[in-house]
Amino acid sequence: MGKKIKKNTKISSSAHSKNESSLSFPIPTKNGVILNEKKEAFYASPLYDFLSPLRPVNHQWGAEYIIVFFALIIRCAVGLGSFSGYKDPPMHGDFEAQRHWLEITTSLPISKWYYYNLEYWGLDYPPLTAYHSYVLGYLGSLINSSWFKLDDSRGLETLDLKSYMRFTVILSEALLYIPGIIYFCKWIGKHTHESPINQYIAAAAILFQPALILIDHGHFQYNSVMLGLTVYAINNILDDYYVPAAICFVLSIGFKQMALFYSPIFFAFLLRQSLFINFPRFILISVATVLTFFAMFVPLYVFGGLDNVLQCLHRIFPFQRGIFEDKVANFWCVSNIVIKYRELFTLDELKMLSLVLTFIGFLPAFVIILLYPKKHLIPYALASSSLSFYLFGFQVHEKTILLPLLPLSLLYTSSDRNVVSLVSWVNNIAVFSLWPLLKKDGLCLQYFAILYLSNWLIGNFSFITPRFFPKWLTPGPSVSDVSVAYRRRSLLPNSLFWKVFIVLSYIIMGAIHLCDFLLAPPDKYPDLWVLLNSALCFGCFVLVWLWTNYKLVLLRNKTFKSY
Amino acid sequence: MTTAGKKENLKQLQERGKATIPTNNVESRNYSLWNFWVALTVLKILLFPGYYSTDFDVHRNWMAITNKLPLTEWYFEATNQWTLDYPPFFAYFEYILSKFVPKYVIDDGCLDIVEVGHFSFPTIFFQRSTVIISEILLFVVLQIFINKSKINERAANFIVASSIVLSPGFLIIDHIHFQYNGFLFSILIASIISAKFEHYLTCAFFFTVALCFKHIYLYLAPSFFVFLLRVYVLNIHKNFEFKSYKSLFGLIRWYNLVKLSFVVLSVLLVCFAPFIGSYKQLLVRLFPFSRGLTHSYWAPNFWAVYSFLDKVLAMILKTSPKKDIGVPNINTGTRGLVQDVEFLVLPQIEPKITFILTLFYQMIATFPVLFCPNFKRFLGSLTLCGYASFLFGWHVHEKAILLVIIPFSFLVISDRRLLTPFRLVTSASYVSLFPLLFTSQDFLLKILYVSVWCLIFFFSLRDVTKISSSVERRVWFFDRIALVYIIGLLFMVLACGFLDAFVANHQENYKFLAKYEFLSLMIYSVYCSMGIIGSWLGLSWLYNFDEPLWE
Repeated sequence: MGKKIKKNTKISSSAHSKNESSLSFPIPTKNGVILNEKKEAFYASPLYDFLSPLRPVNHQWGAEYIIVFFALIIRCAVGLGSFSGYKDPPMHGDFEAQRHWLEITTSLPISKWYYYNLEYWGLDYPPLTAYHSYVLGYLGSLINSSWFKLDDSRGLETLDLKSYMRFTVILSEALLYIPGIIYFCKWIGKHTHESPINQYIAAAAILFQPALILIDHGHFQYNSVMLGLTVYAINNILDDYYVPAAICFVLSIGFKQMALFYSPIFFAFLLRQSLFINFPRFILISVATVLTFFAMFVPLYVFGGLDNVLQCLHRIFPFQRGIFEDKVANFWCVSNIVIKYRELFTLDELKMLSLVLTFIGFLPAFVIILLYPKKHLIPYALASSSLSFYLFGFQVHEKTILLPLLPLSLLYTSSDRNVVSLVSWVNNIAVFSLWPLLKKDGLCLQYFAILYLSNWLIGNFSFITPRFFPKWLTPGPSVSDVSVAYRRRSLLPNSLFWKVFIVLSYIIMGAIHLCDFLLAPPDKYPDLWVLLNSALCFGCFVLVWLWTNYKLVLLRNKTFKSY
Repeated sequence: MTTAGKKENLKQLQERGKATIPTNNVESRNYSLWNFWVALTVLKILLFPGYYSTDFDVHRNWMAITNKLPLTEWYFEATNQWTLDYPPFFAYFEYILSKFVPKYVIDDGCLDIVEVGHFSFPTIFFQRSTVIISEILLFVVLQIFINKSKINERAANFIVASSIVLSPGFLIIDHIHFQYNGFLFSILIASIISAKFEHYLTCAFFFTVALCFKHIYLYLAPSFFVFLLRVYVLNIHKNFEFKSYKSLFGLIRWYNLVKLSFVVLSVLLVCFAPFIGSYKQLLVRLFPFSRGLTHSYWAPNFWAVYSFLDKVLAMILKTSPKKDIGVPNINTGTRGLVQDVEFLVLPQIEPKITFILTLFYQMIATFPVLFCPNFKRFLGSLTLCGYASFLFGWHVHEKAILLVIIPFSFLVISDRRLLTPFRLVTSASYVSLFPLLFTSQDFLLKILYVSVWCLIFFFSLRDVTKISSSVERRVWFFDRIALVYIIGLLFMVLACGFLDAFVANHQENYKFLAKYEFLSLMIYSVYCSMGIIGSWLGLSWLYNFDEPLWE
C-alpha cells in the first residue's frame, strides 16, 4: 500500500508541474507578498476551498443555502449536548428560566407576568421577551400540554421538551439573525465590489462565530433574537431607512435591555443624520421610537395598569444587586483582586462610579459618530460602545460579551486581512472568557469542537497544512501556486506588536487551560484559574477597545472600501 | 429587488470580479478529501452525546466477548442477547479494538460480559472514536482513487468520492445509530476501485476480505464472481474454433485461475480456519433463518408494498358484505415486533420464494457481464445485484440499501440518464433511514443533513455527468415524476413528524389513536419503497435495453 501512495505522489506532482507551465496566473506576488490580497481576505482558508467551486454564476445560488444549512446542522449538533442547569435542582439554570417564562406567560394573565413568584426565576427581561415566550409556549402546549403547565412543570427536563426548546432557538435564529447577517454581507460585498462568493465566505465566518453558538444552543438563551434585530437596524441604516432602523433597534432593546449598550451610537448617528439635515426625519424618528416603545408596553398597561409597567421596569434594571456577580472579565471583577470595592464604597457610590467610567468609555466613539456619521464606522463604534459597557458596566454577565462580538464579527466582511485576523482573535478570547461558564454547563466537548471548527474554517490553521502535508493531500488550489502565498497565511496581522501580543495571549490561554486540567488550584485561592482567565481576557478586551477607537479615528474620513 | 434583477446584479459583479480574482480552473484545483474529513470529524464529535441504538451495546458486547473469552467460545457465548453474528474477521477487528481500551474505560464497564451493558460516557466516547478512526480507511481509499484517476476524470471522481464520504447513510447509521459501515464499505470500495484499474487479484482479495468482515456482501458476490471469471480466468476471443476438447482447455487461463483461487482461498483460510471445529455453530449464527420476512419495521422494499396491499385488501374484505371469507383479526401486520408476518389475504411468502426471486434478478443482471465484460457493465450488475437482494431478500434491514448506493455512485457519472434513478434511490433511501433515529433530538438534524446532501450532489453530479449520445430518448416524463416524488418526500417526513408528535402526546385523551401508533412507519416504508422500486425499474430498463450507454 505504501508503495502505491508514493507512486501516486509522483503522478500528481508531475501533473502539478505541468499545470504550472500551462497556467501561470494565480496570485501575483512580489517578494512573497501577495499584491491583490485585499481582494481575498479568506484566501487559502477551508471556507474558501469549500465555496470556491460554487464561483460560476449558475452555481452561486447554492452557496447561500449550503452555508445556512451547515450553520443550522452545527447548531443542532451542539444542541445535543447538555444545557445550563441540567440535572441541578432546585434552581437549575438558564434553560429552566426560559422554560419557566414560557410557562408563566402562557398560564397567567399579563397582569401577573412580572409579579409571579419572583424568587424562582421571575421574569426580568422586557416585554418582547415575554411575548416571544408566550408564542413559543402556546405552540409548545399544542404539542404537549404538560411541558408548560403552571407549577407542575417546574424543573421538567424531558428529552422531547429539550428538543422543542432547542428547536425554538434554532427557529428564532433562522428567522431573525441569519437573514440579517446574510443581507449585511451582501450589502457590503456589493459596495466594496467583492465577488459574491467572498460575501458568502464572510457570511459563513460570521455564522460560525463560536461564542453565540455555544451560548444560544449549548448554554441556552435567545440572544440571537436581540442581536438579529440589531443587525436589522444596522442593515436599515445601510440602506438609509432611518425610521425602520430606529424601530428595529427599539425592538431589540425591547427584547433584551442589554441592547442599550449600543444605544449611544444609534442615538448619535440617527440624531446627526436627522436633526440638522432633515428636520421632518428627526420628528419621524422620534415619533417612531416613542410609538414603538409605547406599543410594546401597551398590553402591560391595558391589562395591569401603570403599576405593571413600573414593576416591569423595576425588574428589568436590577440596580439593587451587586456591582458584579460571577467572575467576569471586566474592570470591577479584575481590579477587585487588589481594591475591595464593596468595603470602600456604598452601592450608590459604586453605581455612580460605574456610570461615569462607562460614559468615559463610550464617549470617543459617540463623539466621532456625531462628527463623522459615516456608515462604515458603525461596526467599530458599536463595538467600542458595547465594550465600554461590558468593561465598566454595573452588574454585567460574562455572556454580555456577545454584544461587542456582534459588531466585531461583522468586520469579517472587511477586505483588510489585519482586521479579519484581529476579529478572529477577539472571538477566540471571548470564547475563552466563557470557558468557566461552559465548563460548569458540561459543554467542554462542544467548547473545544466549536472553537476548533470556527478557527479552522476561517483559515487560522491553514499555515500548518502545506508545510507538513504531502502535496496531494493539501486541499484547495494546487500547491504549486501557493507555496509562497499559502504558507504565510497564519491569519496574524502584519504589525509586529499585534503578532507578538496575539501569540502570547494564545500561549497564556493554553497554559491556563492546561493548569485547569492538570492542577488543582491552591486552597487559598480556589478560583485562581478563573481569575487568571478573567484577567487575561480583561487585558485583551481593553486593548480591543483601544483598537476600535484607534480605527475610528483612522477611518473617519474613509469609505467602505478601506474599512 | 426581483430575483431576475438580483441575478443580473450578481452577474455584473461576477464579471467585474473575474478581472482581478484568479478563477479556479479545473486543473488548478487539488482534489483532496482532507477538508471534508476535518469538518465531518468535528460534526461527528459533536454527535457523541446524542442518541445511540441497541447496536451500540451489541458492539460493546462483542468487544467484551472477544477480549475476555478464548477464540473457541466466541460463537457460543450467549449471556447477552446480542450474540456475535458477524464473520470472524469482524470478530478479530473487535478483538484488536478491545486491546486499545484504556483502564479508565474498562472500569466504566466497557468489557463486561453481562446481559445488559452498564456503561456511561467514557465507553461511548471510546467506541464512537473507534468508528471515526476506523472510517479514516474510507477516506484513504477514496483519496487513492482520486489520485490515480486521469486528469480529465478527476473532477467527476472527486465528486463521487465526496458524495460517499459525506453520505448521510454513514452519518446516520455509523455515527448516530452506531455501526462500522464506513470502515466495512471502504474494503468493498477498494475492491471496486481495483477492478476499475484492472488489478483483478487485488479486487478479488479485497472482496473476499470484505466478505469475511460482513457476510451481507454475499449479495454482491454473483457479480464479482462472473466479472472476475470472465475478464481474468476465461480466455474467449472472437476467432475461437472448436476442434477438439483440447481447444476448450485453451479457453481457461490456468495460471490466472490458480492465482485467483489461491488468493481467495488463503483469505478464507485465515478467516475461518480457527473455527473449523465449530463450523455448525458458526453457520447457525451467521445465517439466522428463524427471523421473519420483514424487519421490525418494514424496510422499503417489495415486501413492504406487498404487506401494504395485503392490509388494504383485508380492510376492503372486512367491510364487504360477504362475511364468509375468513378474515381473522387484523392488527398483527403493522405491530412493531414482527417475528412472523402472516398475510391475511395474499399468499404467504416462504424463504424459498424470496431466494428464487433474488437469484433470478441477480442472474439477469450478471449475464451481460458474462457476454461482454467491461467496468461500466460490472458496476451496473453490482448495483442491480444490490437492488435485487434489497427488494426481494429475506429479512432485509433498511441499512442494506448502502449496498445499492455505493456501487451506483461510481456508475452515475457515466451518463446523465442514470441521474434520475440515482436521485430517486438516494433521496428515498436516506429518508427511509429516518425512523432509525426516532428520538426528537435528531429530527431537525437528519432532515437538514439529508436535504443539504441532496442539494449539493444532485446539482454537482449533474455538472460532471456525461451527456448521453441519445439524449432525445430520455423519458422526460419519468424525470418530472421523480422530481415531484422527491419534493413529496419532504412533505411526507414533516407530516409523519407531526403525526408522531400528535399521537404520542394525545393518546390519553383519544384512545383510538393507539391504533395508529405505527401508521407513520407504514407511510414511510410504502412511500420510500415506491421510490426505490421506481429507480430500480429505471436503471433496469437502461441496463437491459439501452446499448450505447454500456459501451
